[in-house]
Amino acid sequence: MIRVQHEPFDPGREQEALLRGRHDIGAVVSFTGLVRDFNERPEVEALTLEHYPGMTESALTAIVEEAESRWPLQGVRVIHRVGQLAPGDPIVLVMVASAHRRAAFEACDFIMDYLKTRAPFWKKEHTSSGQYWVSERASDQRDAERWEDS
Amino acid sequence: MSLTHLNTRGEAHMVDVADKSESQREAIASGHIVMQPATLALLSEGGLPKGDVLATARIAGIQAAKRTHELIPLCHALALSKVAVDFRLDEATSRVLVTATCRLNGRTGVEMEALTAVSVACLTLYDMCKAVDKDMQIGAIRLESKTGGKSGDYRRTADESEAPIVTSECRSGEVSVGLRAAIPCVRVKCLAELRERLGVSDLDVPFDSLDEQNVAGLKAALKARDDRFDQLDDARILCAVNQVMGGDATHLTADDEVAFFPPVTGG
Repeated sequence: MIRVQHEPFDPGREQEALLRGRHDIGAVVSFTGLVRDFNERPEVEALTLEHYPGMTESALTAIVEEAESRWPLQGVRVIHRVGQLAPGDPIVLVMVASAHRRAAFEACDFIMDYLKTRAPFWKKEHTSSGQYWVSERASDQRDAERWEDS
Repeated sequence: MSLTHLNTRGEAHMVDVADKSESQREAIASGHIVMQPATLALLSEGGLPKGDVLATARIAGIQAAKRTHELIPLCHALALSKVAVDFRLDEATSRVLVTATCRLNGRTGVEMEALTAVSVACLTLYDMCKAVDKDMQIGAIRLESKTGGKSGDYRRTADESEAPIVTSECRSGEVSVGLRAAIPCVRVKCLAELRERLGVSDLDVPFDSLDEQNVAGLKAALKARDDRFDQLDDARILCAVNQVMGGDATHLTADDEVAFFPPVTGG
């Protein structure tokens, strides 16, 4: 299940929904990304997230399908927020369920690495000294490349 | 050319339209209100003390269009078949762009109604935001297009000094009229930082204007319009055709959607 939304989400409630009525799931790994109050500059006061409606959803679907083809997964939830966020707000949730922990850990890591380098989202940070678009990071690219040979 | 609201003695009078034949009339007017970036941000977040600014301004514009005859002395009272008021928040120029479309099956044009709707929508935006920003400036209220009636169709020609980038007759995003539906266009979107650097979010490029029917051909057509599009050659800038990643060699057909954007930074 993939959602791009303005509203906040509750990881606890999402996990409950993912597991409801299921007794075959042995492991759930979830990652929640939060807005930091420091990044390229200190004193980040707000963050605006822009996306490309339509393409964002299809890019996330493709990433989840790729993960499902690599690991035996029993459920995946990806939620990404857009719009105006404040420090401490959750931005992204990736939750992966599998029979065994290794697949769940790896698939969650994989989805985040691909999401950061392939899904059309852009962050703009608002700080006390002005606003700017966040630059891409080479380390994110390297992280995503780890999965390419395997 | 004479002024129809003056009679032979130069006195103001209302034109008798009883003998004019009925036709489908449409007029589109636009205008803008420039404000502080912080005011625009508050407006988009819904953080202003008077509440939902755009919804209020939209209703004000629609109401104003219906009451134009009470404000402008020689205007007829019209039973408009449609009034639409739209807003576009443009962060790059820190303003709200307002457009109004009025329609009528009748004997008189509806441009005064569209212009009144834009004017009052802008005034309402001022009223709703003035608590936080008194420097706001309303400007460029003008007729964009007019169809139907004896005097024929009118379309404003692109104003180079006002628009940051010339977008020819196929401009989209801000105004849309049926006139242009006949021209097959490639729909171009510029996203995120690129949109702000170029000052353009959406524009249509006539498909016939491409020498090569691919992304490289589209870039060439854009660069021929404005040097600023040279930035599209920056190796960082990515491209998607119909929402699938593409490159210079990706083939294009009419009505394709082509988006240009910087590297992604989500998560």
